[in-house]
Parts: sequence; C-alpha cells; structure tokens
Amino acid sequence: MDASDADALRERVLELETQLQTSKALLRRIEGSKPESQATGGRPFAVQISLPLSSATHNLMLLSDSALPLGSFAYSSGLESFLAHHKPIPSGHSSLSLFHKFLALSIQSVAYTNVPYALAAFRDPLDLMDLDNDLDASTPCNVARRASIAQGRALLGVWEKAFAAPARTQRGEDSEAAAAIEVFARDLKLGVLSSEPFPVNGHLAPLWGVVCLALGLNLEESGYLFLLNHAKAVLSAAVRASVMGPYMAQTILAGHGLQDLIRHSLEKVWFLQPEDAGQVVPPMDLWVGRHEMLYSRIFNS
Amino acid sequence: MSLPKSPFAPSSSLPGTGELVLCLLPPGKQVLQTFTYQYPLKLIAPDPHHSGDDKHVTIAFLLTYGGGLVGGDQISLKIELQDATRLVLLTQGSTKIFKSPNRSVVSRQVLDVRVGSLAALCYLPDPTQPFAESVYEQRQTFYVEPNGSSSLLVLDWVSEGRRARGESWTLWNWNGRNEVREIDERSKGRLLLRDAVSLHQDDPGATELPGKTDNMGVFGTLIVYGPVFKELAEFLVQEFSSQPRIGAKNWAVNETSAQNEGTTHAELARQREQQDGLLWTAANVRGFVLVKFGATELDGAKRWLRELLKKEGTIEKTFGHQAFLCLR
Repeated sequence: MDASDADALRERVLELETQLQTSKALLRRIEGSKPESQATGGRPFAVQISLPLSSATHNLMLLSDSALPLGSFAYSSGLESFLAHHKPIPSGHSSLSLFHKFLALSIQSVAYTNVPYALAAFRDPLDLMDLDNDLDASTPCNVARRASIAQGRALLGVWEKAFAAPARTQRGEDSEAAAAIEVFARDLKLGVLSSEPFPVNGHLAPLWGVVCLALGLNLEESGYLFLLNHAKAVLSAAVRASVMGPYMAQTILAGHGLQDLIRHSLEKVWFLQPEDAGQVVPPMDLWVGRHEMLYSRIFNS
Repeated sequence: MSLPKSPFAPSSSLPGTGELVLCLLPPGKQVLQTFTYQYPLKLIAPDPHHSGDDKHVTIAFLLTYGGGLVGGDQISLKIELQDATRLVLLTQGSTKIFKSPNRSVVSRQVLDVRVGSLAALCYLPDPTQPFAESVYEQRQTFYVEPNGSSSLLVLDWVSEGRRARGESWTLWNWNGRNEVREIDERSKGRLLLRDAVSLHQDDPGATELPGKTDNMGVFGTLIVYGPVFKELAEFLVQEFSSQPRIGAKNWAVNETSAQNEGTTHAELARQREQQDGLLWTAANVRGFVLVKFGATELDGAKRWLRELLKKEGTIEKTFGHQAFLCLR
C-alpha cells in the first residue's frame, strides 16, 4: 500500500458514492414517493443530497477554530523570550529566519514532551488522572506549567458548558471518555478544598486527548490538531510580536514545510510512552523559564 | 571425572551490578553494611569523615574501568541510605561514553537510590561526555519518604563531546531520565518529579542536533529537595529572581560603568556569566527546586555552579569540602 493505492482507493470511494446516490434516486422515483416530489416542486431529477460530513468532522472544525475559547493567544510558548535572548540578531540571521528556527524547535519540543500524553489519554481515558499527575511532575518550569494548566482548564470549561450535552445525545450515555472527563472535573473542583499535597491540575495535553475522543475524532486527527493548534498559537504570537504580518503567517501555516514537520514529528512520537517522553530541545526549558525575567512582556509564556 | 565441587557459595552478582547499603550505628557511626560491585563498575569508599556540624559523612566514588562506558556496557547500582545517614556520591572525572559499533548497542547506567527518613544524599558527579557516534541511556530513580523527611541534591549534566577533536553533539543518542518517587512497598510509588532529556541524531526531517542545542556545549539539571537543603533551595530561587531583567536596555552593564572602580563581586560574577554564555532558571515545582542551566563551555558552567553553591554554604557545612571534588 502506498500513495498511488490511496489515490486509487479514493477514486473508488467517489465512484461508489455516486453509484449509491444514483441508485437511491432511482429507487425513490420507482417508489414514487409523493410527498417528496411535491416538496421539490415536481422537478423530475430531484436527487436527495447526502453530505459525507459526520458530526465528528463538525467537531474537528470547532476544535481547530482559533475562536475556541482556550485563551491560547495569551501564550507565545517561549517565542517572546527566545527573541529577547537573540538580541542583537546574530549575523547571518534575520528575525524571520530566527522565527523559522524557533517554530521548528518548538513543534519538535512539544511533540516529544506533550503529545505522548495526549495520545495516551486518547487510548485509555481512564488513565487521565495519572497522566495529569505525571505530566505535572515532568513539566520543569512554572511558566510552561501555568500555560498548560490555564489552557487545560479552559478546555474543560468549554467541554462542560458547550460540548458535553450535544456529545451525550449524539454518542449515548455510555461514553467512557465523557465519564472520565466528568470524574476529572469533579476531582478538580474538590481538589481546591482538600489538603492533598498533589491535587488534580488540569494540564492541556491529556485533557485534549480525552475531549477529542469524546467528540468522535480519531487518534490521528487529535494528535495532528494538537500540534497544528500549537503552531497556530506560536504564529499568532509572532504576528502580535511584529515578527511578521498576517499574510506571511498564513503562508507559513499553509506551506508544505509546516505540514511535513507536524506529520514527521507525530510519526516519531506515535509509539512513545509518556514515561519515555522528554525534552529534545534543552535550551527550550531555559528560554521558557527565563520568560519571567523579561523587563517587559506581552504574553504569559 | 568431574571437578570437585567448590566449597564457596556460587556468586550471585552479575557483571556491572553493585550494591551499597549505608546504615548508622549508635552513637553516630556510619557503616557500609553492604558494599559490592562487579566489573565494569567499581566503587571506592574511604573512611567516613566529620562534617561541619560534627556528623559522620560517607563518600563513595562511582568509577568505571577506563573512565567511561564502552559500547554496550551496562551498569546497575542500587544504593540505600538508611535513616539519618549522609552520603556524598562522586565520580572521578567525566564519564566518557565511547563510540558504539551501531545504534542498537546501548551503553546503559541504572541507578536506584532509596533515601530514608532524615537521610541526605549529595550527588554531584562530573558530567557525562558522549563521544561521536555513542549511544547512551541513563535511568536514575530516587525513592524518598512520603512524609518529606528525606533530602536530596542531584546534579545531572552532559557535555558536547571532545571539543578538541571538533566534536560538538555528534553523538547518536543520549537519553537521560531522573525520577523522584515516593517509597511504596506495593507499587512503583507516586511520581513526584521527572526530568527527562533526550538528544538524538536520527531524524532526517527534523532539526539537526547542533541546531537544537543553540551553540551551547553543556546542559544540566540540579534537583534540590528536602529539609537539609531547604535553605539552599530558597537561596537558589532568590538568586534567580534577583537576576537583572532582560530588556532592550542592558541595565546591568549600565550600572557597572557608572561606578567603574567599585565593581562589586556580584556584578563581576554576572559579567562572567555573560561571557560564558550561561543561562539558567530556577523553579519551585511540587516541593522541589529545579535548576536548569546551559553554557557554551564546561568550565564556565562548573565555575558558576561551584560559586553559587559555595556562596550559600549548606553543602560545605553538611557534607564537607570533599563534596565539591567534581566541581573543581
């Protein structure tokens, strides 16, 4: 199986779908379903259109929307600090080439430190609590920790307020993922009151995996979207930090370079267990950690 | 005719394994209850000395034949610090990781340390030095009492290789993981802290290793935990937060030029850090203080760390000047 096979299969699917729709239309005509022919004004070739877009695709679009209220725009994931640490701009670099370097490093770093937790939570939502604790123990600096927790809790809030009810009617009461999130949310609220030394935190990556599962996305989409959203957040930070304009940012987002990088990074960590996750870009921890020391800042991380 | 049976019990030790159990005998004498090792691991423990507060401190040197690990060497050391003991764990020179015949031959070091109640471990080794085309994995796990009465100071650092031979991060794989867990007889114990770094050269599509390290020649982590190191931990966080701010204007340099003659010690240290390309952060994470640092050259990092730890003084007082042997 390779790319040419995929193309052939895609063609075949299209062909079959067309056949299906034509057969359906013919069947309807033979059966002479009267109310429908009245509704369509008696046009002879009225074909009932069925869009091959599931509610999972709808949810995928919602989760990839930059208007999803996670507050990701408030975090630059170390970009602001990175730029401050490379002032004056070293010879042979421009601020754009520096940014490209940072974006590549940032995606790889997030892929190796966070994505394994998102994938593991998707594969087994009952592990959510342990994954949350382990990711908290593995996040070495306060700045990154704050950013991850703030966005994770925001995602939990969006789930409770907006996604939970439709997901329940759609997928029935027996969704393991939805139940896991519910228990997690309850423990998070109780954790504020208890004196437990290591309460539930609400990091983004594991919650992301479980929310994607509950909304019917598949594992590949969840992982890819996690990295794509990260790239989008870094790019939007770059626009606001005046590294580039919005069209340039969109050009990078649409480019093959970014797609390949995300795909490649995801493939690398596909089977990486959370306990083997680790930092692959050591200076990243230093830049993110030293964000607190910037004299002036426009982002929270 | 068969050989006569050996009168000695068969050896139960495996190559590269070692065990060290430190206990306290009344009225305050530290004894090594168990002290075994097998080639290629070697341990040396001189007689315990007295610290500044008049308690016994035992030093153990963790050595390997040839000063490093040849491709495929496996070392596994178990250490137990029983209640109220103090151990300094050191090395003699950097641990060299030699070239591997291929990527699947992994040199490995496993260290399991159990730190009892009121016991304190001070582990300040030399850095590991991975040569070109080396493959290395390091797993260090520290088990502490759930009530927070154990103390721990762990340094883990890695350098770029043999710079004199033009090696700068030309290794194949370097994989280090430090974990601190609660002592729990029934399970692995709750994970309190994990610090994992993974450097690898096998990504054709990804950024090359020298690009990922951003011209730095050494990276390290210092983990500080427990009542013995409480003041040190506070000092480190304080020292970090009092660093000059990073901004468009360089505040630190401006100040020194204003009072040319009376440059203070702190300002000199800061200038030096700048020359050494030293970057560091300190953070309070789940009851630990975690310091991460990087510098252009090993000497710069060594000098900075030694001066920082000496300035505070806890280590010298509790473990003696010998604890700084690897930072000289």
